[in-house]
Amino acid sequence: MQSPDFVALELRDICKTFGPMVANDGVSLVLYRGQIHGLVGENGSGKSTLIKTLCGVHKPDEGLVLCGGQPVHLDHPLTARALGVATVFQEFSLVPDLTVAENIQLGRWPGRPFRVRWGALRETARQVLGDLGIQISPDAHVGELSKAQQQLVEIAKGIAANASIFILDEPTTALGAPEVSHLHALLQRMRANGAAILYISHRIDEVVRLANVVTVMRNGRVVSTAADTPLEVGAIVRRMIGKDIEKHYAKAHAPTGKPLLQVCDISTDYGVSGATLTLHSGEVLGLGGVLGSGRSAIARALFGIDPLTRGELRLRGGALKLRSPADAIAAGIALLPEDRKSEGLFFNFSGAQNITIASLNDYDRGFRLDLKRERAASRDLIEQPQVTPEAQYQLVDRLSGGNQQKILIARWLSARADVLIFDEPTQGIDIGAKEAIYDLINTITRAGKGVILISSDDQELLSISDRVALVRGGRIARVARPAELTKSDLLETTAERIQAA
Amino acid sequence: MSWLKHPLTGPVIARIVVALMVLATTDRFLGPGNLNNLALQVSIVALVAIGSTVVIIVGGIDLSPGSMIALLTMLLASMLKFCGVEFWLAILLTLMAGAALGCVNGLVTAYLRIPSFIATLAGLSAYRGIAFMFNKGSPVFDASDWLEPLFYGHVFGVPLPFFYIIIFFGAAHWLMQHMKLGRCIYAVGGNASAARLSGINVRRTQFLAFVIAGFMAAVGAVLMSARLNSGSPNYGVGLELQAIAAAVIGGASLAGGRGDIIATLFGALTITIVQNGLNLNAVATSTRNVVIGAIIVLAVGIDMWRDEIGRLRLFSKMRRSAVAPIREGEHQ
Repeated sequence: MQSPDFVALELRDICKTFGPMVANDGVSLVLYRGQIHGLVGENGSGKSTLIKTLCGVHKPDEGLVLCGGQPVHLDHPLTARALGVATVFQEFSLVPDLTVAENIQLGRWPGRPFRVRWGALRETARQVLGDLGIQISPDAHVGELSKAQQQLVEIAKGIAANASIFILDEPTTALGAPEVSHLHALLQRMRANGAAILYISHRIDEVVRLANVVTVMRNGRVVSTAADTPLEVGAIVRRMIGKDIEKHYAKAHAPTGKPLLQVCDISTDYGVSGATLTLHSGEVLGLGGVLGSGRSAIARALFGIDPLTRGELRLRGGALKLRSPADAIAAGIALLPEDRKSEGLFFNFSGAQNITIASLNDYDRGFRLDLKRERAASRDLIEQPQVTPEAQYQLVDRLSGGNQQKILIARWLSARADVLIFDEPTQGIDIGAKEAIYDLINTITRAGKGVILISSDDQELLSISDRVALVRGGRIARVARPAELTKSDLLETTAERIQAA
Repeated sequence: MSWLKHPLTGPVIARIVVALMVLATTDRFLGPGNLNNLALQVSIVALVAIGSTVVIIVGGIDLSPGSMIALLTMLLASMLKFCGVEFWLAILLTLMAGAALGCVNGLVTAYLRIPSFIATLAGLSAYRGIAFMFNKGSPVFDASDWLEPLFYGHVFGVPLPFFYIIIFFGAAHWLMQHMKLGRCIYAVGGNASAARLSGINVRRTQFLAFVIAGFMAAVGAVLMSARLNSGSPNYGVGLELQAIAAAVIGGASLAGGRGDIIATLFGALTITIVQNGLNLNAVATSTRNVVIGAIIVLAVGIDMWRDEIGRLRLFSKMRRSAVAPIREGEHQ
């Protein structure tokens, strides 16, 4: 099957540097038609640079891109598109105010100048969606669709543009289990139709399940080629990080049994209906459940973002009224938001300033901030979870996702929070940084604080939590120890939800 | 080469280049009378631009200070001439009135959630309208003998506006870099939802930024009145644009979160020197306005194109971090 006729696109010895940083160092990779090619590597391993080369955003310093055996110059995204390369980035290239049909054929609406043939536009869209088995109305506005649906529209857009080479960058980060399996089924059908697919993901188990071959990158190089990589999670992880990990999830058990935060039958207008749970000091309480089950809604209620319509909160036995996040922070509650870019980080601030922003009162001397103390404190907080020392002065957009996340956790340590709600804390960050974050969680619980962990990574949820509360329809369906739960239990709540719907 | 990354580098270079260009075209630029004149000219725009910069950093825009100045000069001149209000009390009341107008802008923007562009566009229209309601719309001349010394006076041979600039820019710089409110203003402009989730009172911060802008407009109004010993509903036309231009030439980003008070002073100087130079060369006002437009585009462009310029390896150290908003003091 791997005859030259089936080669869709070939990268040969691609090198790309940014100033002193070598992002890609002699990377070679072949994409075959009818194959799903997994590409894995930690953050900063050069995957993103490679993708950007493939879709014409970056021009490589050295090396060749061959399409159909001929060298091509991908010097512009349009050139890549003309060659049939479609890229689905984590950030979508959809116009939210236009309909699905309009988006699918964006830039190529049928008709003459000044007169679009709307009928044909919708017909084509309906056909493409139908072929893919995507059940979304062509007339729906993209802005009103869920993230998962937008992802499917993005793929349909590539198909409509007659693309045969698809690059998917972390396509499942925002998706729940049913959406992931839907997407995978779609990709498998596309593969059967002869598409070449490059699938980039941090979820190694997904890649192993889906891909025919896997390329592993580390430090800008290919460390394991498609021919060499066994389709096995442990082996891939070892190649990714370049060492053996003894225990993927180091977990300290520190629950004391003393109630820290009691949530009694709370409801909000935004997706919580009668949730009751108790977080003990020294405990990690996991919230399991699918996308839209109300996990994040509970987090928002506990952090004072959504007002309670019913029920009450008690912190260390005392009643707690929250009218705003500021109230929650003052009470010692912290939220690590799911979307760290749009809700967490200040990209105009250095790492140090990002850390101290929630505890400025510690440095406020009336008409003066004690900048010297601020610097000293932030330096300690940067050293402790081993954030790169550059973070002290560097703007955070220059830092890796793992470092950014550590900085956000440091923000709440600096604010002396006792109840930390972590919403998808390891989403989109590499394994090394994940371990550092698990270490931080251990440190937090050992100090007698409590953590509420929301994670779509089932393995992580079951390994890190002391207890897991399964959330369904905005309430807690069941609380159990991780040992009593299996992955299928987590999926079961999913299945029930689908039946109910 | 760390100075190349400093946020002041661009504005200072722009100012020097502009000054050299003016020098090359006329020998009257360095005359004592002209330099003095320059300091007086820049003072009002520069002081108003403090407010514009603060509002731009918090993520908004203020289009109303020109009209506020018209209203406040009328208020001040009328109080002094027709109501016989004590001089210093009148000054104080004018400053408070400016802050109050800022409160109005802030309330409409931050609490009623009208976009600041719209809210202050309304202010631009309304405040000048109110100014015309004083004294049947006629200017008030010869308001008070005490006014002119406020602008033309000297201390130790140095013109007073020079001291106003030092005091207000010093205070504003302190506010933005060394006080909690300033840090919160940068935070809200940088990412409002992250600011809210970090416990910052976003609306109050936006509100206070507009109050500061109103107060600085009042300072500008007092100086305008003092300079001409009068009040007029026609004062300050287009001043808001000059103030915004000063902030933008100084590197402030209209997206919010980025900008520097001291850089704004250099931005204001750049504009004033250009005007002055074109004046000395007897260039028509119309041409002058076109040139200033071009300079605004160039100044912002140079900031935006730093990456590309850097890639040419002409200024290999000039990177985007050059617009770092908050300096950290001692770099190790």
